Amino acid sequence: MTPKQKGPLAGIRIVELGGVGPVPFGGMLLADLGADVVRIDRPAGYDGGAPVDPKFNLLNRGRRSAALDLKNPAAVDAALALVRRADALIEGFRPGVAERLGLGPDVCLAANPALVYGRMTGWGQDGPLAREPGHDINYISLTGVLHSIGAAGGPPAIPLNLTGDFGGGSLYLALGVVSALLESRASGRGQVIDAAMVDGSASLMTLVYGLHAAGYWNDERGTNRLDSGAPWYQVYATADDRWISIAANEARFWRNVLRLLGFDEDEMPDQHDRSRWPEVREKFAAVFRTRTRDEWCALAEGEESCLAPVLSLTEAPHHPHLRARETFVEVDGVVQPAPAPRFSRTPGAVQGPPPRPGQHTGEVLGDWGFTPGEVAALREAGAIA
Amino acid sequence: MSGPLAGVRVVVLAGMGPVPFTGMLLADMGAEVVRVTRPANRSQRALANTDGLRPEHDLANRGVEAVEADLKESSGVEAVRQLVAAADVFVEGYRPGVAERLGLGPEVLLERNPALVYARLTGYGQTGPMAKQAGHDINYVAQSGALHAMARAGEAPRPPINLLGDYAGGGTVAAFGIVCALLEARGSGRGQVLDAAMVDGVALLTAKLQGLRAAGLFADEPGTNWLDSGAPYYDTYRCADGRYLAVGALEADFYREFLARLDVDVADWPDQHDRAGWPKLRELIAAAVASKPQAEWAAIYAGTDACVTPVLTFDEAAEDPHNAERELFQRIGGALHPSPAPRFSRTAPREPATPRPEPLDLRSLLETWAGGS
Repeated sequence: MTPKQKGPLAGIRIVELGGVGPVPFGGMLLADLGADVVRIDRPAGYDGGAPVDPKFNLLNRGRRSAALDLKNPAAVDAALALVRRADALIEGFRPGVAERLGLGPDVCLAANPALVYGRMTGWGQDGPLAREPGHDINYISLTGVLHSIGAAGGPPAIPLNLTGDFGGGSLYLALGVVSALLESRASGRGQVIDAAMVDGSASLMTLVYGLHAAGYWNDERGTNRLDSGAPWYQVYATADDRWISIAANEARFWRNVLRLLGFDEDEMPDQHDRSRWPEVREKFAAVFRTRTRDEWCALAEGEESCLAPVLSLTEAPHHPHLRARETFVEVDGVVQPAPAPRFSRTPGAVQGPPPRPGQHTGEVLGDWGFTPGEVAALREAGAIA
Repeated sequence: MSGPLAGVRVVVLAGMGPVPFTGMLLADMGAEVVRVTRPANRSQRALANTDGLRPEHDLANRGVEAVEADLKESSGVEAVRQLVAAADVFVEGYRPGVAERLGLGPEVLLERNPALVYARLTGYGQTGPMAKQAGHDINYVAQSGALHAMARAGEAPRPPINLLGDYAGGGTVAAFGIVCALLEARGSGRGQVLDAAMVDGVALLTAKLQGLRAAGLFADEPGTNWLDSGAPYYDTYRCADGRYLAVGALEADFYREFLARLDVDVADWPDQHDRAGWPKLRELIAAAVASKPQAEWAAIYAGTDACVTPVLTFDEAAEDPHNAERELFQRIGGALHPSPAPRFSRTAPREPATPRPEPLDLRSLLETWAGGS
């Protein structure tokens, strides 16, 4: 990993104040597409909540780590010098913490007026909960996301941390950062981005809110068309205790699924007759139980029935389609999702494995314009190891 | 001028699911987004499966203008080509090969406009054996390995509506890629083609889980891990009134705070990280939470570090004090809209406009755009 990153963001420099969760994933998205992202880690090293070999900490991939002891004023000065040479900074502390470290937006934008300063939190920079702790499950519980997921009559189901931390969090942070960079290239001025997981997860729900307002979406989870309420948009258990997903929303696909399952369309209820959905679900469930998951997949090939196997995290990288597309790549012996989306002329890449905290301190400082004397002085002052 | 993308012109070929969402995200940030629809397009009606979703409820069209063009007629195709020639971005979501057959493939459009960012947003992507296969969100999320992991132990996987495929892994990843390519094109003067596949985007969202799995810290068996309802301290619990409480007390300190305010004797409870004791611990927590209604628990945990929150419905979400103070939702044209995200300090976008029922006149739009204003 060198400053010769590949991708549409090549040449863009970003400082990431080290943390866990959504900020590292945001840093990964930017690094995957070519930005030179430098993580500022604590000198002692922080294991990211998972006490393992850094190579498994995939969210840190593709960038260099400089360890700076930000309790030391010389280190804060060094961080500010990096900020002066950066296009963007991303951080995910609770509101006020970056300010206390001496790296708040006012200080950083004074040092570098064109800087894009991205702040990633759960609750946002203001509002009564702004300084409260929380986790993904809490943020999505306030935006209608968590309420909407799960079986009818059952508890809300947890979509891992993909709709809060990563979907509603990091993706919006990264989108906001590049959008503000585009603007600052023209205006010469940076700004502060408040990326909050409550905002992002609510934004992901926009179309569902519209359907709700129109009276087409019940508050009762598991009873709607896209939340496993409909028998034709659903998962079914197969003979080998695995799962198949079907999504036969359109009349054409519905007919194809009926044919695949061996039902006579004339003897089946109308696709949209909700009162008969339980009956259809039972009929489908019984037939799906008669073959294995992979038998159904083979049978459905080319049938236009919107059927797919429910693959585990272990299986997904081996699926022929994802293999053909190289949706997963292996880096340093660890299988991991490839950068997305894909670019025809300036493709992104996994620019390198996750670093050890502090692995590149001297190299980064050198590359970003520190003289050997300045680096030595920082070491002398105990600001870097 | 408002929003960081003010001045960026985007042409979107009407479709369902993620493509309009990409248009909305770009429009929310100030881009001028024009959606090309066929005369008398009925796709929204198909989605609602009723006699029609009224324009003001089709929230993805907020701030987006529509023009009508009949793509079966060469004059309609030529008009769209002219429009795209004056645009920065083109977004389409047909199966591979369809845009080409319409005469709106990347080669044709990039030849007329070499700086164009041409984004293709599909479920399975432009290549691979399933590229031309039909599918929907639940299929793509299933294919990527994410859906399998979203289940309670021994139960069916539950799709998180269509948030992960259509919107996060699809529309948002595409929007991110589009802005990255725009940034690059401003330097190089050259556009390119983006292949945004929902299977890739959702897989990308599982990066952390893939790393934990590779390290042996995340089991393939759903509902047995710390973020998938396996751990009793990270789950939802039913209150006395049938409503639910979200408990995210991962850290030891927060977990202690959570227990303290349950107001029951926990001396004999299994330890937080004693996996063998998790089933018992879950029962004990469930019994304790079932003793009070949701609102009472919400008041008890408000302002504490326990990471406990009420699970709110759509209408409640808008009224929640935190969300209300942040104006997380806005009422526009009678519908509750989630506000644009993220938020920008200097180039805050204007308020989203109500989705408009009437299309713009294509000819006059062409004149405006071709005039370079």
